[in-house]
Amino acid sequence: MQFEWMKIPYALLTLFIVVNFGMLLGAFIQKIGARVGRRHGIPVWQNHIDLIKNYGLRSSITHGTMFYLGPVFRLSGGVGLLLFVPTIHGSEMFSNLSFAGDLILALYFVFFGALGMALGAGESGHPHAAIGVTRGLSQMSMAELPFALATFSIALQYQTLSITDIVAAQQGGMLNWTLFTNPLAVAAAMLSFLGSMMRPPFDVVLAPQEIPIGPPTEYHSSYLALMQTNRALFPIAKIVIYMNLFFGGAASWPVFFFKVFLIYLWSAFVGVVFPRFRVEQSIRWFLVWAVPLGVLSILLV
Amino acid sequence: MAHLAMATGFLLILVGFYGALTNRNILRMIVAFSIADTGVNIVIVAVGYMRGRSAPILDSTVSAADALARIIDPVPQALVLTAIVIGVGVTALMLAYAYKLYEKKRSLDIAKFTELKW
Amino acid sequence: MVSALYLIAAALAAAFLLGLLKEQWRGAAYAVTLAALAFMIWVSAGWLWAFALEGAAPVEIFTAGAEPPFAINLRMGLAEAALTLLINLTGLLSALYLKDALSRLGRRALAVLLIAIMALCGIVLTRDVFNLFVFFELIVIATGGLVLLSDDDHALAAGFKYLIVSQVISVFLLVGIIFAYHATGTLNIDGMAGASLGLKTGGALAFFLMFIAVVAELKPFPANGWALDIYESAHPAFSAIFSAATGAAALYAVDKLLLIGGADWLPVATGIGLVTFVAANILALPQTNDRRLLGYSSIAQTGLVLAVLGQRDILGDATPYIAFGLLASHAVAKAGLYWLSGLVAGRALADWAALRNRPLLLFAFVTFICMLAGLPPFPGFYAKWELARFLAAEGRLALLALILFGALVEAGYLFRWLGYLIKREAPAAETACTPHQATAVFAAVIAGWALGFVWGDLSGRNNLLLVLPLLFALAFLLLEWLPAWTKNTLAIAGMVGWFVLTWTEYDPLRLIFAVIFLIGGAITLLASYAAHGRRIGFYPSAMLMYAGMAMLIRATDSFDFFAAWELLTVGSYFLILRGKHSEPHALSYILFSLGGAFLILAGFALAAQGAPHFDIASLGQLGQPAQPLAPWIFLLLAIGFMTKTAAIGVHIWLPGAHAEAETDVSPMVSGILLKAGLFGLFLLLMTMGRQRLYGIELTHALLWIAALTALLGNLMAIFQEDAKRLLAYSSIGQMGYALFGLALMNHLGWLMALMFVINHYIYKAMLFLSIGGVAKRTGTREMYRMGGLIRMMPLSFIPVLIGIIAVSGVPPLSGFGGRWIFYNAIMTAELRLPLVVIFLAGPIAFLYLFRLIHTIFLGQLKDEFRRVREAPFWIVLPQMIYVVLLLVFAVVPGLALRHVDAYLNRFFPEGGLGWTGPAITSSYGYWNPIAIMIVVGVIFATLLAWLLFVNRRAQKVRQFNIVFAAERPFRPETTHYAWNFFAPYRKAMGFLVQPFVTRFWETLTDLLHTAGDLARRLYDGNGQSYAFHFLAFVVAVFLLRGGV
Repeated sequence: MQFEWMKIPYALLTLFIVVNFGMLLGAFIQKIGARVGRRHGIPVWQNHIDLIKNYGLRSSITHGTMFYLGPVFRLSGGVGLLLFVPTIHGSEMFSNLSFAGDLILALYFVFFGALGMALGAGESGHPHAAIGVTRGLSQMSMAELPFALATFSIALQYQTLSITDIVAAQQGGMLNWTLFTNPLAVAAAMLSFLGSMMRPPFDVVLAPQEIPIGPPTEYHSSYLALMQTNRALFPIAKIVIYMNLFFGGAASWPVFFFKVFLIYLWSAFVGVVFPRFRVEQSIRWFLVWAVPLGVLSILLV
Repeated sequence: MAHLAMATGFLLILVGFYGALTNRNILRMIVAFSIADTGVNIVIVAVGYMRGRSAPILDSTVSAADALARIIDPVPQALVLTAIVIGVGVTALMLAYAYKLYEKKRSLDIAKFTELKW
Repeated sequence: MVSALYLIAAALAAAFLLGLLKEQWRGAAYAVTLAALAFMIWVSAGWLWAFALEGAAPVEIFTAGAEPPFAINLRMGLAEAALTLLINLTGLLSALYLKDALSRLGRRALAVLLIAIMALCGIVLTRDVFNLFVFFELIVIATGGLVLLSDDDHALAAGFKYLIVSQVISVFLLVGIIFAYHATGTLNIDGMAGASLGLKTGGALAFFLMFIAVVAELKPFPANGWALDIYESAHPAFSAIFSAATGAAALYAVDKLLLIGGADWLPVATGIGLVTFVAANILALPQTNDRRLLGYSSIAQTGLVLAVLGQRDILGDATPYIAFGLLASHAVAKAGLYWLSGLVAGRALADWAALRNRPLLLFAFVTFICMLAGLPPFPGFYAKWELARFLAAEGRLALLALILFGALVEAGYLFRWLGYLIKREAPAAETACTPHQATAVFAAVIAGWALGFVWGDLSGRNNLLLVLPLLFALAFLLLEWLPAWTKNTLAIAGMVGWFVLTWTEYDPLRLIFAVIFLIGGAITLLASYAAHGRRIGFYPSAMLMYAGMAMLIRATDSFDFFAAWELLTVGSYFLILRGKHSEPHALSYILFSLGGAFLILAGFALAAQGAPHFDIASLGQLGQPAQPLAPWIFLLLAIGFMTKTAAIGVHIWLPGAHAEAETDVSPMVSGILLKAGLFGLFLLLMTMGRQRLYGIELTHALLWIAALTALLGNLMAIFQEDAKRLLAYSSIGQMGYALFGLALMNHLGWLMALMFVINHYIYKAMLFLSIGGVAKRTGTREMYRMGGLIRMMPLSFIPVLIGIIAVSGVPPLSGFGGRWIFYNAIMTAELRLPLVVIFLAGPIAFLYLFRLIHTIFLGQLKDEFRRVREAPFWIVLPQMIYVVLLLVFAVVPGLALRHVDAYLNRFFPEGGLGWTGPAITSSYGYWNPIAIMIVVGVIFATLLAWLLFVNRRAQKVRQFNIVFAAERPFRPETTHYAWNFFAPYRKAMGFLVQPFVTRFWETLTDLLHTAGDLARRLYDGNGQSYAFHFLAFVVAVFLLRGGV
């Protein structure tokens, strides 16, 4: 196979769109959360401002090699995840680098960033970073399970592991979406989705306001900027997978924006309603509520 | 006669065993075993006995020619002799042991020699 | 040929001559005795030569110028020649050993010794029951005298107890003899057999009395308290005779009596023998006194031979081969051990650690233990194999099971003892050993190896002592004087050389295993260059393991396979035992392994159905009698192999064994040895495929086991504080994955299993080396004690980083390939529920891997490690090789996999992968390792360059720019954040990792120990009780047989 060099600028374009969209959407969701709490909230361009500010900071320290590698791993994970999955169905331009691998690649590449991040923060030497990571990993190990089960369920359903083929199979009307053809799998996956979005009730990992804990606390300036970029990019990349697998994918950018927004909103919606779980509570919650759904979806498909 | 001897022999064996198993005194045990040995010897002789025949000694009264018809089976008698000799040997050895054991502990109680166990 | 009668005449004459010598002529008396014994050896050796090599016919020797039944006759045949040789040799060596004691006591003791040996020869030679009685009584008297040679004054009481019991026995024997004579009119054994004694009036009872009396000489359970006391208190040299020679003679006497009794009495012999074997072994478990332990073991071994004699109806012509194999192993080893026990000052088992100061004596001990345990290449091993073959063919499975169970219990206490010897604190005092004593011990060692050779030669199979890899391994025993690096070079050269010699013979699947075993083994051996000194014991053990593996992959016959399996087990056992604290773990390893090996043995025996040679390949086409048993065979073999891969339930040996092993041993036993089990499973599934048992598809059961293994292995790994234990548990999980792939029974499942084989070898060897290097430098394996070591040991950090990415299956490294194939494989899986469990297991790997790398290398550097150096060069070097291998394998997995993929088409034509083009395709998806590597690499490099650019002026923060305070509490680890790292996880999921399995096996062993401990109280030390035991035994046998 001859590699088409044109793919690179196309991929970069996808990246650019998604990053900006992610930053705006992230802020917007924040704002929705704030409004529910009768607060005013941040302006939607706040993330852009933060990014510029972070690059502008002149103080710059390092703890060692892994300290550098952490954010790099993290953002590589986000970018890779996005690029290994076709963004717009039917568009050669935005099919990105999905020739490299199928659904399984995406499924496992999710962990690339998490692992690298965990390592980078560790080198700062602050115990809180490590504690944050243990919480994150513990929760993730169980939260990802229903998603993995759901994925397998639909792979069985469509008899393929290729994301493009899965999306193709859902074309031709909403009722062809996995949401309707395999509701159990989607339910399991959407519960799992809550666990990976770092929003209540599963946000003890970051505990953003009250406990200065977890990897982001350890970083500043351009390191933080990289991570922030990822923070904007990664949820979207993840949602793209969900969208492709369960909600028929997107054939154009507007549909893409709309679907991504709605899926994102799901986690925000749950988040503003429910209080926070401790780690062992959330592990049990996934085990009791989400995993059985996933198991059923596998058995019944 | 043979049956009586055999019964006596077995009785002696049982008496001997009973004595050996119930007496804790080592010397009494040795005596009991001697009784049992004697019982065995009587049994052996009784087995070889045949009614109306003479001792298996070839002399003027019994010639070699008609020995087969007139004497009792000589083998058990030969066996008894050997058994007696061996019995004496073992008894002597046991007595020597008894002496040594007594020297060691100033006691002849078999139940006192139980350091080796389990 | 010198008449066999001279055996008796020479001893009598010499004893008589001794009486004529002056009391002061000690030297002369001793010389006369030795000369007589040497002469007797010469006579019996001459006969043995004539029978064995020149094919002479057995010779009858008539005494008193008349033929039976009018006179006593003796017979000299092959068995008699061998037995008398054994007896005379034991006698001579014991006499040598006893030089000091005998010289002190003078000619009377010498005469008694000669009479004893003569009487033993007499028992073997005579064909006359009354003569048998006489010789037995001579033994009683001689034993009564020789027991007193001991320095232990308890011997006096023991001797008297013996006399009491022997009196009772002789009464039975005499009464039996006279009635048997009465019934048949002859005292000749063959005459009685010809006259069918059992059919005459009272004949059966007479036989019973004779039989039970002679059997009592074998010390059957429970009528054996007297013998134990003698074993414990007598002089060890006499115990050697009592165990080896007396036991052999008495067994032969029983054998002769069984001629009279006929087939009816064979089951009785088997029953008594078997009960004795099992009971004595269980009773031996709680023993702490070495000589008493050996006594129990002697009794057990004699019982086993008796059981074999009772099986002659099915063993037929093979009876002597098997019975002698067992008997010879027992006699040589037991005599040797008793002689050794005379060199050890203390009587506790742990006191034997004194032998450690004398490597040669230690080697002797190891030889004897291996002989007793029936390990290759000793005769007991061949005998065990043949015995199992016959028993399984005739369906005597309960018997086989009990024998194997008893053998396992025996191995339990023997190897525990071996562990004491090698690991316990050795007393400072030098072990004294006179040349005479050394002669006796090493004569036994040589005899043991020679017998191993002879039995191999007679076996009609490959003589193990002629197999090149094994010889190569054994050669290292002779090279122990060389420095370690020379031996290491030789070892590496040998392994690579063997691979080069043989690699063309393997099919693609075997080739992968061969590369891992031999080339992979050579790479791990590079790390051994880091060791200094001579490293005594390391190379023979390691090479034995590798020899076993080299033989394993070449084996086609089931015997060769099993022998190789046992060899690699033994080698790895000694290797594991070298770890500082590995004594209990090595024991549990060898017990699980031997247990597994016995299952394999039983499985092969069932499958062969008596065929002398059974090709492993024909497991797939079992003959008619074996066909209905196929699921059972499958089950036995599968469980046997799974003990090696540490499937859940039989996994408890692994963590300790792998974690406590030495730095360069852990990668061998984890990265390489575990694959032997997988190889076995591959073979099993390739040949037998699916089997159903009571409607359950056994591969489905395997799927469940595999899934649970993966889950629980991973889960247990995250709760470890010890880095090497963590890696060990992770191996359990990884093996679970591999087993899962195999049990999927489809093309890709097997390919995935193979991918795991390769991957696991590379990254587990690498991780163990790296962590081992860290542990070596820091002196601890507790992770929370470390931290921040990335600065001190950056080279050790790199493999761990690469390793954990690979283990977790994250792209772009090779672990991902395994996961990708896994997903494709499960698309066609028949069962879906176990998949859920496997899914659950997957992400858990991240938890322990993060813990591993973070707690050791990241975080705060501890004060005590501020001056820690990088791991030694030779430990780092193989890690770097592995890093390269891992990257290469990640980019071009096809190098290894595509050939196997093609090979697997033979078994599953469907579902292979497509290898055309840069992407590897399956029917469901595609995977382009090169593209992934490039994409990830480019993104990563770009971002890194960007970050470096914007941070070009970053200031390096040192450790103490951050404040940390507070005092050290009583248990400092409780305040360390990395201690009990995943506490919430434990709260949520901890219920899954309660040590149920450990508790199960512990309870089982406790139960056995307690049973043994309670039962041995039967032997209360009272002579009258012992006599009573004998009577009870007689009654019990009588009743159990239902009269006569």
